[in-house]
Amino acid sequence: MKEKKNLFKSNAVQSLIASLLCIVLGLLLGYIVLLFINPAGAGEAIMAVVKNFWTYSKQTAQIKNFGNTLVKTAPLLMCALSVLFAYKVGLFNIGAAGQYVVGSCACLYAALAWHWSWLPCMLLAILAGAVYGALVGLLKAYCNVNEVISGIMLNWIGLYAANMLLANVKEATSPYTMHLTGAASAAILPSLGMEKLFSGNKYVTIAIPLSIVIAVVILIVLDKTKLGYELRATGNNKNAAKYAGMAEKRNIILTLVIAGALAALGGAFLYLTNYEQWSVTQSSVPGMGFNGIAAAFLGGLNPIGTIFASYFIQHITVGGAYVDKTMYSSQISDLISSLIIYLCGFTLFIKYAVNTGIARREEKARQKTPQASGEEGGDK
Amino acid sequence: MDADYAIEMLHITKRFPGIVANDDITLQLRRGEIHALLGENGAGKSTLMSVLFGLYQAEEGVIKKDGREVVIRDPNDANALGIGMVHQHFKLVECFSVLDNIILGVEPTKNGFLQKDEARRKVVELSDKYGLQVDPDALIEDITVGMQQRTEILKMLYRDNEILIFDEPTAVLTPQEIDELMKIMKNLAAEGKSILFISHKLAEIMAVADRCTVLRKGKYIGTVETKDSSPEELSAMMVGRSVSFHVEKKPAEPGEVVLDVEHMSVASRAHKKDAVHDVSFQVRRGEIVCIAGIDGNGQSEFVYGLTGLEPLREGKIVLAGRDVSHAPIRERSTHGMSHIPEDRHKHGLVLDYTLEDNLVLQRYFEPEFTNGAGFLRRDRIRAYAERLIDEYDVRSGQGPITAARAMSGGNQQKAIIAREVDKDPDLLVAVQPTRGLDVGAIEFVHRKLVEQRDAGKAVLLISLELDEVMDVPDRILVMYEGEIVGELDPKTTTQEELGLYMAGAKRDGVSV
Amino acid sequence: MKKFLAVMLALTMVLALAACGGNNAAESADETPDQQTEQTTPADAAAEKIAMITDYGDITDQSFNQTTYEACKQWCEANGVDFTYFKPAGDSTADRVAMIEKAIDEGYTVLVMPGYAFAGAVFETASENPDIKFVTLDVAKGDFLEAAVSAAGESYDYNPDNWNLEDYADLSNVYAMIYQEELCGYMAGYATVKMGYTKLGFLGGMAVPAVVRYGYGWVQGANAAAEELGVDVTMNYAYGNQFRGDADITAAMDTWYGGGVEVVFACGGAIYTSAAEAAAKVGGKVVGVDVDQAAIIDGDYGEGMTVTSAMKGLASSTKDALTQIVLEGKWDSLRDNIVNLGLVSGTDPDANFVGIPTGDGTQWNDSFTKDDYAALVADMYSGKITVSNDITATPESFATSISLTNQGNLK
Repeated sequence: MKEKKNLFKSNAVQSLIASLLCIVLGLLLGYIVLLFINPAGAGEAIMAVVKNFWTYSKQTAQIKNFGNTLVKTAPLLMCALSVLFAYKVGLFNIGAAGQYVVGSCACLYAALAWHWSWLPCMLLAILAGAVYGALVGLLKAYCNVNEVISGIMLNWIGLYAANMLLANVKEATSPYTMHLTGAASAAILPSLGMEKLFSGNKYVTIAIPLSIVIAVVILIVLDKTKLGYELRATGNNKNAAKYAGMAEKRNIILTLVIAGALAALGGAFLYLTNYEQWSVTQSSVPGMGFNGIAAAFLGGLNPIGTIFASYFIQHITVGGAYVDKTMYSSQISDLISSLIIYLCGFTLFIKYAVNTGIARREEKARQKTPQASGEEGGDK
Repeated sequence: MDADYAIEMLHITKRFPGIVANDDITLQLRRGEIHALLGENGAGKSTLMSVLFGLYQAEEGVIKKDGREVVIRDPNDANALGIGMVHQHFKLVECFSVLDNIILGVEPTKNGFLQKDEARRKVVELSDKYGLQVDPDALIEDITVGMQQRTEILKMLYRDNEILIFDEPTAVLTPQEIDELMKIMKNLAAEGKSILFISHKLAEIMAVADRCTVLRKGKYIGTVETKDSSPEELSAMMVGRSVSFHVEKKPAEPGEVVLDVEHMSVASRAHKKDAVHDVSFQVRRGEIVCIAGIDGNGQSEFVYGLTGLEPLREGKIVLAGRDVSHAPIRERSTHGMSHIPEDRHKHGLVLDYTLEDNLVLQRYFEPEFTNGAGFLRRDRIRAYAERLIDEYDVRSGQGPITAARAMSGGNQQKAIIAREVDKDPDLLVAVQPTRGLDVGAIEFVHRKLVEQRDAGKAVLLISLELDEVMDVPDRILVMYEGEIVGELDPKTTTQEELGLYMAGAKRDGVSV
Repeated sequence: MKKFLAVMLALTMVLALAACGGNNAAESADETPDQQTEQTTPADAAAEKIAMITDYGDITDQSFNQTTYEACKQWCEANGVDFTYFKPAGDSTADRVAMIEKAIDEGYTVLVMPGYAFAGAVFETASENPDIKFVTLDVAKGDFLEAAVSAAGESYDYNPDNWNLEDYADLSNVYAMIYQEELCGYMAGYATVKMGYTKLGFLGGMAVPAVVRYGYGWVQGANAAAEELGVDVTMNYAYGNQFRGDADITAAMDTWYGGGVEVVFACGGAIYTSAAEAAAKVGGKVVGVDVDQAAIIDGDYGEGMTVTSAMKGLASSTKDALTQIVLEGKWDSLRDNIVNLGLVSGTDPDANFVGIPTGDGTQWNDSFTKDDYAALVADMYSGKITVSNDITATPESFATSISLTNQGNLK
């Protein structure tokens, strides 16, 4: 009993429990909604969401589609890391969505218009995102503009700027940017033979392992370096950071530069696989950056946790497409995935609830059996 | 005989994980008496009051009201029993009027409309009866701290509370306001109210309380009649040994000038007037200079300007021969200025960081603690932290890896002092370094300041505590409304004279 | 402890749920064959299961996906054939490929896919699944080439005539239907001017080939009628650069109608909403597209707004294809072919795959009657009237007798 108590009190365990609870709650809520709409297929539908690629009967198809989910996980993970990194410094980087957009735009344009190869394309994306993040940082540091406000506005500016610029490299007869083929095929990220592991899924590239490596790097930077020490100090107590002579303004800008670069790299990680073509008529900011917020929180604001959270969110998003459309319209499956993602944002709240719950229970336990606590003390 | 007591807390025991906060404590409050509750920080005063207020449930012991046993489950129960409390930090709505604050929660209504006239009548009556001068229509944000406190007291009286608890009520007041409060408390007692007065200021307890109960480390030490006791006896009961109130120090031997402030002005954030106006003085090696004054007379802004947290509007600061008027904080820090900040939670510590990370807050960037690649040298930080913890006797649950948040106030302050002093500065700026500390910790801080002076450092102390101002420094500068209005020698001056300067009634050269 | 129990309980529920889900799946799998044998007695349809896959739109888009979906559903219900539809997780070839594979995985044998966006996905999956019958709508040779040529590592020049598709793609199990939109565009333009309107407009969606063909037909038809009647006709010509209406496009339409334009041919998915919204303010008219839109536009924006509609027989051609494949076993004669559907009868306009509504969907009047329309169809069928489908030309080049203002893309 005592061991268990200590276990529940550990921060990591609490985060894990809170995240799992969020997932369970989300699935439960989704199931209830499905029951209301059409009770006959609710169980099957929620299972389709959970199973995603396992709904394929052939193993090769399963592995190939597992690859597809991973391909989409890499950019989401980068966006989540972007949000997480800024959050550690006390900034809410809702602008990750826009930084993701400019990163996508920069790498696609360089690839299609100038036929750059993948590495320079990626670096350009990072640069674009860094500059875009710096804008938010400069506004925050020098004009005291809230990063949420400027972030949201820059999201839209980024979207329309990208649409305008990419219209120059789109297919003549469709709203999509051209495929990364022919001269532009140098821009496709190398796969290093990994596609063979995924039934020849040609979209599986180094983006996937690279994103995981970057998550680990972020963890190290935050925990082990002088930079991380400064940034976390700024996030935890801005005044103390200033008192200790840390360059508060520089830190804010630097944080958003890094966050912007991360999100933008996410864009490169998707579009340089040739998985998707940019549609220059899209009129809403891609959800990747916003889902990054959910992934960061579901991951307990830990870079490693975020890896799994990003995968999970992408898993159920794709899984939603496998819900039987004759029972539930496509909007319903989107709704279910969104519900689950939405509840993921409650991780911190649930952690708090678990904490107070434990405290209260201990309080009561002590009141009921005052002797017991004495014995417990005696054990030590 | 029991009926003589308004409230009794008998054999109260309250445990928290790993600690017994209250161990068999008995507190009996007579009707119409002023009863002081004395103890160091962490002695269990707050826990005991929380039990009385129903915020915690005691594991053992009973509470009696007028001799009858009662159960207090939450603050509403306490209220119903007529128990009221003035907290150290007032619970007032800033943008409401005094009257609105007093009736908040018990508004007289008729058909859903406020009946303020009736309430006003009662408030005016009460304020006349007890001599509590307030303007019912003034907004809280516009009135003095003293009047805010009177508002809090009226809140209790308006609710017909019989038992009034004052939690360190003098911490925020000027000497004159303290006198007034003492009078009010005596008035209230004379009118039959029973008062519980929590404090660790012995002089006040001696002046106002009838009896005093002393706690130490969660244990009940004893209850004494103050008229039969002395400050020395009380403090010995409180800390478990005899404490010297007087700071032992050799005469100062001032050396070269370390800090030279010339015509310094700092703009105010709140209004157009300067918060600090045309301040000039010097601090030399081997002396402690104290800036005294009532809270809010520009001391904070002066320190901000001096340490670089706020820009100067005008003037010059020379630190050990180097003009640092517009230098960044880091430059001042690395060139000989250490700063023990006024608010250790706001500026002094990153509460979510570990103790060791806080101990290197001013030095983490040095090659000693960060290698060429930008990685922290964790092993050296640990070793450094362990040395400071040892040298300065910083106590915490888990040593270097304790979260600063989990440490007691005194030990947090010790950690800050360790960090700032170990930097080996030319100038040590200590802003209210004993705020909120108990007697033992205060003694420690004062000893450290004197040690630094004797080691040839210049020490600039900013303090609001009269005792401290009189005892510690070699010179006193009094700040009033952003200006230095007088320089006093603590050996020759009196508290009364100091009070006149602080209240702006006296000024060097000119008589105001 | 209680909290822990709650977690365990929740987990158990989920597991139970999973178990239920599994059972359901098993049960329904058991049931399907029974249902099939029961329902498929009339024909040999049991062998085929039909699935439709949407492009990026939904089956409620009041356009392509919806028309195709409804046609498939009606046909399958009438003939007792298994039918469902799939919607890809995202707007990309990879996601469409995943859904095609999913449909095949679930045992569907005839896949109906509307929209040019499917070219890449079909190119990728068709050769790998030779037993599956791929039916595409509106995917032209150029669309296939775009995917196939670049996949071969060459760069495509957007001129389909320069390329031999068979060298690049194996489409032996694909039946691609495209339509001669220029013909019905011509009819609508001709009819509108004949009815007495002289100030026209063309609001295309995006300048994709199908839309361009509609537009050029519309210009040619109006031009021919103006020549015949000897009246002055003016026309504004523009694309919205998207397949839906919005405030900007509505504002442009306000300018058109305010400037005297009487009828706008709103050609491109839901872009008609902008034209109709602007028309409603000043009593203007619109011409519908793809299907007979009179009911839906008049219902939403005001009686009598729709002059006529330039229709292509999405529904009829889909049903026709399904009948031939599933009931008549004619797959071998259809497959490996991109068929350009247009006029098949000079005498019965309703039998054709392109045309304008012969019923109430067209506002027949004395100057343009149903008989006039029949004569027009006859002349077009016989070759007496030819309509150019050269989308490399400019709209101005067809406006020999009318004055045309080309505004390009509005956005």
